[in-house]
Amino acid sequence: MSTETTLRRSVGTAAATATSAGLAFAAIDYLGVVSILAYAPGATAAFAILVGGLIVVLVSAIFSELNGLYPSAAGIRLYLGRAVGNRTALSVTFTDMTTVILVIAADAFLIGAAVRHVLHEPSALAYVWIVVLLGVALAANLRGVRMASWVQTIVTYTVLVGTSVLSIIAIVHVGGAFRQPFNIFGSGSFSGIQAIAFALFLYAAFEWVTTTAEEARRPQVITRALFIAPVLIWIVSTLFALALAHLVPYGALHHSATPQLLLGTRALGTVGEMWMLALTVLTALNTFNGGFLVASRFMYAAARENNLPRPFAKLNMNAVPWVAVTSLTVVSAIVAALVFATGQWLMLVSVGAAIECAIYAIGSLCVVRLRARVTSDRPFRMVFAKPLASFGVVLFSALFLATAFADPKDSRRFSVVPFLIIAVLGFFATLYVALVVPRLERAAAARNAERRPTRRPPRPGTGPDEPVAGRVDELP
Amino acid sequence: MADWDELKEALADYTRSCNNNERLRKMQRDWSRVLHFVCSDSDVTFSMHVDRGEILSTPEGREGVPDIVVTTTSETFCDMFWGDLNPVQKYLRGEITVKGSQEDVMRLDAISYVIWPDS
Repeated sequence: MSTETTLRRSVGTAAATATSAGLAFAAIDYLGVVSILAYAPGATAAFAILVGGLIVVLVSAIFSELNGLYPSAAGIRLYLGRAVGNRTALSVTFTDMTTVILVIAADAFLIGAAVRHVLHEPSALAYVWIVVLLGVALAANLRGVRMASWVQTIVTYTVLVGTSVLSIIAIVHVGGAFRQPFNIFGSGSFSGIQAIAFALFLYAAFEWVTTTAEEARRPQVITRALFIAPVLIWIVSTLFALALAHLVPYGALHHSATPQLLLGTRALGTVGEMWMLALTVLTALNTFNGGFLVASRFMYAAARENNLPRPFAKLNMNAVPWVAVTSLTVVSAIVAALVFATGQWLMLVSVGAAIECAIYAIGSLCVVRLRARVTSDRPFRMVFAKPLASFGVVLFSALFLATAFADPKDSRRFSVVPFLIIAVLGFFATLYVALVVPRLERAAAARNAERRPTRRPPRPGTGPDEPVAGRVDELP
Repeated sequence: MADWDELKEALADYTRSCNNNERLRKMQRDWSRVLHFVCSDSDVTFSMHVDRGEILSTPEGREGVPDIVVTTTSETFCDMFWGDLNPVQKYLRGEITVKGSQEDVMRLDAISYVIWPDS
């Protein structure tokens, strides 16, 4: 049956591209550029961002194919489930969702730090700003306040254009004297690879636009967004990296949680500082709007599917899953406070970059497996899918290792901390899926056994107990 | 395969359950939508007009410009409107497909969850 009906409100290419770029370009990306500069000094950072962007073309193709197969907000669960099994899919999805919490926490911390810096307040007040920002986000979410699609589009393009314009002004100060344009292995034997892995982080989360596939005017809209958004991020990140590398000494960046404010001040004084502060606050609108929505709705669906405790599906009078939203806020506040207390904000970049590389490797694996298992037509087919996706598995696994064992501040040192954090997250996700989910499923089955009888009346000529496919009592 | 008469009976019960549920009506007070339902195993299509949480009508065929389009088998629709299945489980297995915003998709499931908390 055809379902090609035009929706009253549907998403076109410009809005989908803004969603994709907005999800990727968070305040933490300004810090991501600092991590790249640690491994690729001077103008070499721009080269690393370019190579990262070329690799992202492969990611775009992989997620375009997967989205074409399963154009749904539940897409990641569907294609992971079909490719690697439901239990593994759940473990991976739970681990992936932690990146949403990391990004929300990072943005709360970074914006708090930026506001405190501009107002010249004592550093401890950053805690207050973190609580205020997350409190406002929580209140808005609980009241069911959503940014309209057009507002989100304007906010995203304002952030991208605003960052680019200020970066160009800063570059004009430099006068085109770019230093070290191709010093790709100048900061250690693996520095080039690690710089590229960190560059990938700038594009991370752009693929989450696939969760809006059900709103897209046509399936091609998401595919176009997946290919256009990385180009926008590449342009903005390159300009920002070049400006930062040549106008602000790396020694000043190394200890700063607000590199964008330093650049703004160097380029235009107080005006530049306020300019970058405004853009930083704007990035939070996208992060808090998109991040809370994606993660809380995932938790609601998981609870309804009996994979999370039932309270996570509780709805308030605005039809918002309030337990899920509140839990997200509390966990994000704790993570943000921990980051502030330890001063390890660049560790968030390492962990986020490594998890994204792992997700890209798993996405590549899904394409390899589903090419063999699912033969149905799809709106986008990768060329040379099997060899390219197989290459993706190897490449992104290598980049995962490159970031998971990197010290984000010092290219001459290795660190096991990012890997340990991811291993602990993955271990608990796997343990939860192996031990707790079966219990929740058994409890649901027991509830269904005691529940009211089936409401649907039997068809004439059939018995009342005749099973009907898909009923709740067919739970495992 | 369920025919239109069976679906009509299920829809009538669903409409009663929704419109008589005070909590649901309050929760959906700002939700006015046109929904289209497409049976993937037959030619049957039907619509649902919701105004501020109240289901006004459920005519056969596609009426109006939809905000949401739901596609699945006629049997699944029948069970869903009788409250005998969990729509989220079917959705996450890809057996129910939806066109519409994430928020509307969740609202649609929330209706079933509120009127049949044990589903």
